[in-house]
Amino acid sequence: MSTAGIVLFYVFGSLALASAVGTIALPSPIRAAMSLLAHIVSLSGLFLLLHAHLLAALQVLVYAGAVVVLFIFVIMLIGPVSAPPHGERGKLIKACSGATILAVSALLAYSLYPVRAPLESLGNCTAAEGAECDQFGGVLAFSKSLFVGAVVPFELIAVLLTVAIVGAVAVARGRTAAESRTLSIKLHEKGKVSVAEEAREHVLATQLTVPPPPERGL
Amino acid sequence: MQQIELGHYLALSSVIFGLGAFGFLVRRNVLVQLMSIELMLNSVNLMLVGCNRFLPDNHAGQVFAFFVIAVAAAEASVGLAIVISLFRLKKTVHSDQADSLRH
Amino acid sequence: MAEKALLGIVLFPLLGAIAIGLFGRRAGRSAVHSIAVLSVAASFGLALLAFAELLRMRLDQGKELAAISFTAYEWFTLTWNQRPIGVPVRFVMDALSGVMTLVITGIGLLIHIYSTGYMSEEPSYARFFAYLNLFTGSMLILVLGSNLPLMFVGWEGVGLCSYLLIGFWYENTSYAAAGRKAFVANRIGDFGVLLGMLLLAVASNSFELSAINAVAEQRPNVFTGAFSLGPRGMPYWVVPGISFGTVATLLLFLGCTGKSAQLPLYVWLPDAMAGPTPVSALIHAATMVTAGVYLICRLSPVFALAPVTMALITTLGALTALLGASVGLVQNQLKKILAYSTVSQLGFMFAAVGCGAFAAGFMHVYTHAFFKACLFLGAGSVMHAVGAHGDADIRQLGGLRRYMPLTRATFLVSCCAIAGVPLFSGFFSKDEIFVGALSAGSYFSFAPWLGHAVFAALVLAATMTAFYMFRLYFLTFSGEYRGGPVHEAELGHEHVAHEPHESPASITVPLIILGVGAVVAGYVWIGIAHFEPWVTWLAPALGSIGAEHPHNAALIALASGLAAAAVGIGLATLFYYRKSDAPERLATQFRGVHRLLLDAWRVDQLYDRTILAVSRFLARASNVLDVYVIDVLTTVLPTQIVRAVSFLFTRMQTGLVHAYGAVMAFGLLALVLHFVVPHGDPEIIGDPQGMKVELSASAGLGYEYRWDFDSDGTFDTPWSADRNATRDFTDADFVRFAVVFEGASYGAHPRTLTVAPKESLPVSASAVTRALTSAQISADEFGPNWQHGEDNRLPQINADQDGLLITPRGARVRKDGTLQASEKPVRVARGESVTIGFARLTVSGYARPRVQVRNVFGIQRTQSVGVVVPKVARRLTAQVAAARAGVP
Repeated sequence: MSTAGIVLFYVFGSLALASAVGTIALPSPIRAAMSLLAHIVSLSGLFLLLHAHLLAALQVLVYAGAVVVLFIFVIMLIGPVSAPPHGERGKLIKACSGATILAVSALLAYSLYPVRAPLESLGNCTAAEGAECDQFGGVLAFSKSLFVGAVVPFELIAVLLTVAIVGAVAVARGRTAAESRTLSIKLHEKGKVSVAEEAREHVLATQLTVPPPPERGL
Repeated sequence: MQQIELGHYLALSSVIFGLGAFGFLVRRNVLVQLMSIELMLNSVNLMLVGCNRFLPDNHAGQVFAFFVIAVAAAEASVGLAIVISLFRLKKTVHSDQADSLRH
Repeated sequence: MAEKALLGIVLFPLLGAIAIGLFGRRAGRSAVHSIAVLSVAASFGLALLAFAELLRMRLDQGKELAAISFTAYEWFTLTWNQRPIGVPVRFVMDALSGVMTLVITGIGLLIHIYSTGYMSEEPSYARFFAYLNLFTGSMLILVLGSNLPLMFVGWEGVGLCSYLLIGFWYENTSYAAAGRKAFVANRIGDFGVLLGMLLLAVASNSFELSAINAVAEQRPNVFTGAFSLGPRGMPYWVVPGISFGTVATLLLFLGCTGKSAQLPLYVWLPDAMAGPTPVSALIHAATMVTAGVYLICRLSPVFALAPVTMALITTLGALTALLGASVGLVQNQLKKILAYSTVSQLGFMFAAVGCGAFAAGFMHVYTHAFFKACLFLGAGSVMHAVGAHGDADIRQLGGLRRYMPLTRATFLVSCCAIAGVPLFSGFFSKDEIFVGALSAGSYFSFAPWLGHAVFAALVLAATMTAFYMFRLYFLTFSGEYRGGPVHEAELGHEHVAHEPHESPASITVPLIILGVGAVVAGYVWIGIAHFEPWVTWLAPALGSIGAEHPHNAALIALASGLAAAAVGIGLATLFYYRKSDAPERLATQFRGVHRLLLDAWRVDQLYDRTILAVSRFLARASNVLDVYVIDVLTTVLPTQIVRAVSFLFTRMQTGLVHAYGAVMAFGLLALVLHFVVPHGDPEIIGDPQGMKVELSASAGLGYEYRWDFDSDGTFDTPWSADRNATRDFTDADFVRFAVVFEGASYGAHPRTLTVAPKESLPVSASAVTRALTSAQISADEFGPNWQHGEDNRLPQINADQDGLLITPRGARVRKDGTLQASEKPVRVARGESVTIGFARLTVSGYARPRVQVRNVFGIQRTQSVGVVVPKVARRLTAQVAAARAGVP
């Protein structure tokens, strides 16, 4: 690898680290999302260094272009975040588990740092071939591996995404107004519903979850 | 300067993973927790692609990373839908408030 | 032809029992008693046939020990000392069992006929006859069985039937308790019979009675030798002073005391009167209770070799005779008097056989069957006539001679027989018993006066017998009728006496037949005239103690018998025939003794206070143990543990994600640590090929390995990331010798022991010592006959640089098939093997290679594994066989 490659590694690497720290440390969610975006872009840069050209592009397209945008939509929807009413719980658990995980990652990093493997030089596409050449990590080669070698998982991923869409929509929407009216008419017709019951039914219909038990003193 | 070896990439990946896990365990905002999960998935992607670079017989690492990205997207969408439901119910995105499943 | 008759004799009553048991209720009374009576009649007929055949064999062909045998099939086989002992289902009739069979079937037939009349109003008619037939079948198995296990089947069978029949009216709890008491007392005896049976079989290597008797006659030292326990060649206990025969016969006699109601297990017999009267007649007078005497007579050659046991038998017999007679003096219940009389008469029989007079004792069995059965059946007739239930109080009877002349006649005849009135059967048998007692003399070398003491006791008992039997007769049949039993329903009202009447023919005809028997049965042995076909007939089947009759024994016996009868009958006449108040005066004067005798010496209370109290205490203690220990451990403790654990687990479900995440983080830490902290865990991969072994250590993150194969402290391989290593082991690598020991004891598996040079492999004498002292090898693993003759010394196994050195000493050690000398050490090098007894020892090398593991942080850890080379497979015997055949 050339000197430029080494320098670029350190640049992108430190950017990735910094933005990761930013994601987890910044108090405002919008800022954390922006930091995540920076992390994803720096990771895309690292992919380019690793001869995964198509994957780098896909990373920006999907992650930065879709997932982070989705995050931002939801953050906008939720609005400003208020402080929790009773202060934070479980500070000790937090501290212990945080320390544990830092220890684990430090152990892993220290153990894995000495791993060495021979580096083959992989050619790049010449200008004459354009982007269609058969180099490692290029569109042609990567597509061959994906659509020929891994076509079954690919199709299954498509199914998975469909399921995820359906699930997200089902989870996220409540009942429309028309549906809740029909539901309460049905319950009235049964004649067994009291006012309090009906209110509870309404809440159930809109919330899709069990109402919380009465608040205990925390 | 010293060449960039596989070990560098693996170490970087481990550190980012640790940071992501740390963020998940320590932060109480559910959205930031989801973002930390994305960090962890990304670190795994980095390790996969890095190992593939040094074993370039096939594209297995990159293909795997591709699927990880797809799954991460799906998971993020469903997770955010759950966050929206939680917000509708509890009017908060603080994970300490989401304890309806206690004994 | 006569052989098959034997099968029929046993089978007909059993089949009858099954048929009546299954179909009796539906078939109706006449069908039931027809089947019952006909089956026993068929048995009796076949018994006559077989006996006739025996007679012919004796007379025509002059065979001394004539016997007919019929073998049905092979039941099972045991192995003792590597020899099989077969137990077939075989029935044998010889002189002894022939007479017994005739008695059982003949008197059984009469009692069956009697029962059809006596039990005619009984609702459980079918059940009664089923049990009665079953009893008859079991008794016949007992008598005709040719080997001890088969006899034991019959023994248990009659015990069972006794229980069933005594507790026949089980709705009454006291009757059921009486049945239980009989069964338990019998069971205690059965324990003795079982052990005795096994000892006899072990001594004579056979269960067949004929074989055991043959051993007793031809090789008496088997039974007179000292008693020792333990497999041949390794005696564990040798008890000096007690002979083998003594122990075996004592155990058998324990069974006899149970079955034949001697001290100390007689207590069930008086209570057994709870059963119906025919049951008392059949079981407790004629047949079952004589099984004990029959057993002793059957094994008389063995018993004759054990004077100690015989002394005990005769002493207990005499004491029982006295006890039974003394209690019978004052009892007021009709059947109870007869019960104690049975106990007493059995005492006479045992006293006789104990003194070696087997023929005399057996003759009393034979005559007693007739007159006692007649007495019991007569009592039944009386009770039937006056309407008594359970038992009759003789103080309320009297004058029955007018109403029941036939019953009275037979009863009188039987009383004369039992009292020893001359020319009746009992007179002859009692006379011979007295002669036998007087002749015992020097047989009891340690107590030559025993015979005479027994004689004196028996004379006293005979006097008492005569007295109380005639007391019974006079109070029941003479004088005026005193109204009969008072029924509960009539208490308080004017007692209406209803006239007793003579019993129907089904009752009186058996009485007459038995009465005739009571008179004439004794004429098979008239001692004074030396007319003794009985003795001649039985002599080949019985053993003998070689006693000599002193010349005046016969005269003394005769005189004493006559005197006893005269005194007894005379006193009874004085007290009871002519009204006298002497009995009441004596009773008040000796009130304490009178009460004691009335309470039967309070033996039952003694048992209750002592043995039964212990049993009750154990029951209570077990209950406490069960509730407070076992229940707590198995019920209370687990539930509490489950509660505690579930409490813990529920508290863990907080519903908070970060708590769950924290647990995951801790788990991840543990996983990572497992791979980072070095661990070696070397193990052998695959099968070692000859001396080449592949070893492998466990994988980890960033590990490096190096190996030390020869345990010399220096590592033989450099640091490398390869976790596998292969080594061709040589003699220089071994640190110890591995000895693969294949023992020859039951269920032994080969096991590997290690021994270092200059150490030795400890050998202990038995598995118990081996467990206690943690020795490696015990002598019982060498198999049988591992010793040279009487030399008990154990081999010594030492190790030195080149292998094992085994000094055989007392053991048979073979190397390559040749027996080694006792004192010269045998060298067993690596790869060679040697046999001690039937066990095999193979020597291999034992190495202990080490692996050192280092992780990225430089932390090291060393672990080792034991390797046995060459690995010994079970194919070794094939190798050795090939080596012997000369194949390289």
